Amino acid sequence: MSFLKIRHLLGLRGVCKEDLRLILDTAKQFREILDRPVKKVPSLRGVTVVNLFFENSTRTRISFELAEKRLSADSVNFTSSASSLSKGESLLDTLKNIEAMKIDLVVVRHKGTGVPGFLAAHSDAIIVNAGDGANEHPTQSLLDIFTMEQKFGSMEGRTVTIVGDVRYSRVARSNAWALSTLGAKVRFCGPATLLPRNRDFFEAEGVEFVPDVHDAVSGADAVIALRLQKERQEDSLLPTLREYRNFFGLTPEVLSQAKPGVLIMHPGPINRGVEIDSSVADGSNSVILDQVTNGVAVRMAALYLLSGGHADE
Amino acid sequence: MNNYCFAGARAYVGSRFQEPADFWVQKGKWVKGPLPDAHRVEAQGCWILPGLSALLVDFQEPIRDDVYTLHDGFEAMHRGGFYSALYESAANPLDDIQKLKAIRDACGKSGLEFHFLGALSVDHAGKSLSEMLELASGGVVGFGDGDRFPTSLRFIRLALEYAGMTGLRCFFQPLETSLMGKGCVHEGHYADAFGIRGIPSQAETIAVHQILELAGWLKVPVHLKQITCRESLSLLRLARDRGIDVTCDVSVNHLLFDDSSLEALDTNMHLRPPLRTAEDRTALWNALSDGTIQAISCAHVPVLPQDKETHFEDAQPGAVSLEIALAALLPEARQRLCGGEEALLTLLVDGPSRVLGLPPRTLAEDQNIPFLLYDPRVERKVQIQDFCGQVHNSPLLGAKIQGKVLGDFFDGSWRPTAQ
Repeated sequence: MSFLKIRHLLGLRGVCKEDLRLILDTAKQFREILDRPVKKVPSLRGVTVVNLFFENSTRTRISFELAEKRLSADSVNFTSSASSLSKGESLLDTLKNIEAMKIDLVVVRHKGTGVPGFLAAHSDAIIVNAGDGANEHPTQSLLDIFTMEQKFGSMEGRTVTIVGDVRYSRVARSNAWALSTLGAKVRFCGPATLLPRNRDFFEAEGVEFVPDVHDAVSGADAVIALRLQKERQEDSLLPTLREYRNFFGLTPEVLSQAKPGVLIMHPGPINRGVEIDSSVADGSNSVILDQVTNGVAVRMAALYLLSGGHADE
Repeated sequence: MNNYCFAGARAYVGSRFQEPADFWVQKGKWVKGPLPDAHRVEAQGCWILPGLSALLVDFQEPIRDDVYTLHDGFEAMHRGGFYSALYESAANPLDDIQKLKAIRDACGKSGLEFHFLGALSVDHAGKSLSEMLELASGGVVGFGDGDRFPTSLRFIRLALEYAGMTGLRCFFQPLETSLMGKGCVHEGHYADAFGIRGIPSQAETIAVHQILELAGWLKVPVHLKQITCRESLSLLRLARDRGIDVTCDVSVNHLLFDDSSLEALDTNMHLRPPLRTAEDRTALWNALSDGTIQAISCAHVPVLPQDKETHFEDAQPGAVSLEIALAALLPEARQRLCGGEEALLTLLVDGPSRVLGLPPRTLAEDQNIPFLLYDPRVERKVQIQDFCGQVHNSPLLGAKIQGKVLGDFFDGSWRPTAQ
């Protein structure tokens, strides 16, 4: 039997290869369940999960809720606008009050980097990070990798290019850490104003910075386009969305430089015609909707294993 | 007749004058003579020079064609012996590809060689980045915001980061806006004597320091326009010692004048940046001699007579200089510049190329390079008629200068300058 070495899923930086493999391999089993007529298993019966979403979310929140329901967990949802936080309650007090209701597991999304870690340090509940600031989004990365492994089998020796707003992307960071751990090569590509400034730190982890998008996709096995926040233009980080699309957008012309079977991915939601053209997002190489489906299986695996579940060896 | 012999001229080749000799021209190209049917032009004591290169000109069309037109600018270049120019439009910031195409097409009709600076920010306002990647793909050779220094250091940082993707140089006029305030002369003796609001040297040095720190940090090449004071030169030398890729220029007027020239309160002396002290002027010449400064800028800023015919503080800053730059600088260069007139010509022929990393320009046999016949002995007084268009805002009006373009070979034809 294999158990996770980590108690919480706060991020993927520093998470060992064995834990990553355990979640990904367990997710395969849950993925099969999702194709059955009855998609529900009793694995987390009696376990209570609260989804603490301090930031807007559609697909991640629904994906976690579905994962919890498929595992037969009792789940409750929390949104900050309808909570006591809006009346001035501190984050810690909110947590303590929720915890007093005998919660086993907390799924949290927050705009503040480190909030999941803060909660983990002050709570007995198991914490799952559903996105904190621009820091990490571990389950998104795991579902990205799961989707890639469906095609490649293993990420060892594969090249994954991440294009776009890397500096402010928790998806990019989680993917960089996990993909490197699993032996893949990661490339970052984007405008200099949207790339991490201290590149040495990432380069030490094996991440390569490739300024030109054509070069960046050349030879890549998978390309992940990141959502471009329109506020970036207002913040003077970009001249126009038009220039971004012309120089960094995933267009058929750009992808003509890539391998024939390159996987096209996107964490969603998509700005069509900005970071990715519709013909690419909806094209035969796109696995964007597979990512969404796989997200439920990966989150089921993470919740199951963190709750003390194990995989039979 | 397409063949010429300029008898006894001294050709300036590769930064050196050759001994006086007959200079043979066939169909606009320098060739080995003799040519039997050549038209003979007596040119003893005259120079054959490659076309000069002007750093940072703005002919204001189309936005201010009430002041000056492209045609005026082309004619001014022709009169001054300039055949290439780095164009940066303050009136009509080149912040998108359509504006670039329009001005490039218009300038292309002149047959002169133009390079263009794209805008760092939309409208030179220092708030939104311009489409620098597209401008770079359209052929700009660098970026700048005219004479406006961005007020936000964060914006300068972002602009440098973004421009850094292109590998092109970013140009700044280092004048810190809040310290400059409404000043219009150097904050020194003469500002106090006349009670005119001054601009301290620190308005420049602080901006220089800011740019150099950011350029060194972000590893983006920068150019500082119209350096005026010795403290800035010290900062530049230190920066180069640190490996920062920085070039700079000094304007014709800051080499010719200092703030003692303000005595008469001639509004043509109202310049931005302002004229500094005599010690600063000496330091600028020395910096040209030792290579601290790479180029001389014409800083050709046309101002309508009515905008100069007012009191000093109210006058619009700027001066024109293309038509007379070489003749005005020659006597001073002989006295103050190490290498004298040859060094001056190198700066005026190759300075912009050095800044932009372009190949050096030199006369060569069988090459189709525009060149001019220049008589350095002609003494003349600067007159209103020397200037093109409806402007004549030169602090040199009435001054004696030495030298004149007698004509040029351009597009394969000999064009004598109108007397």
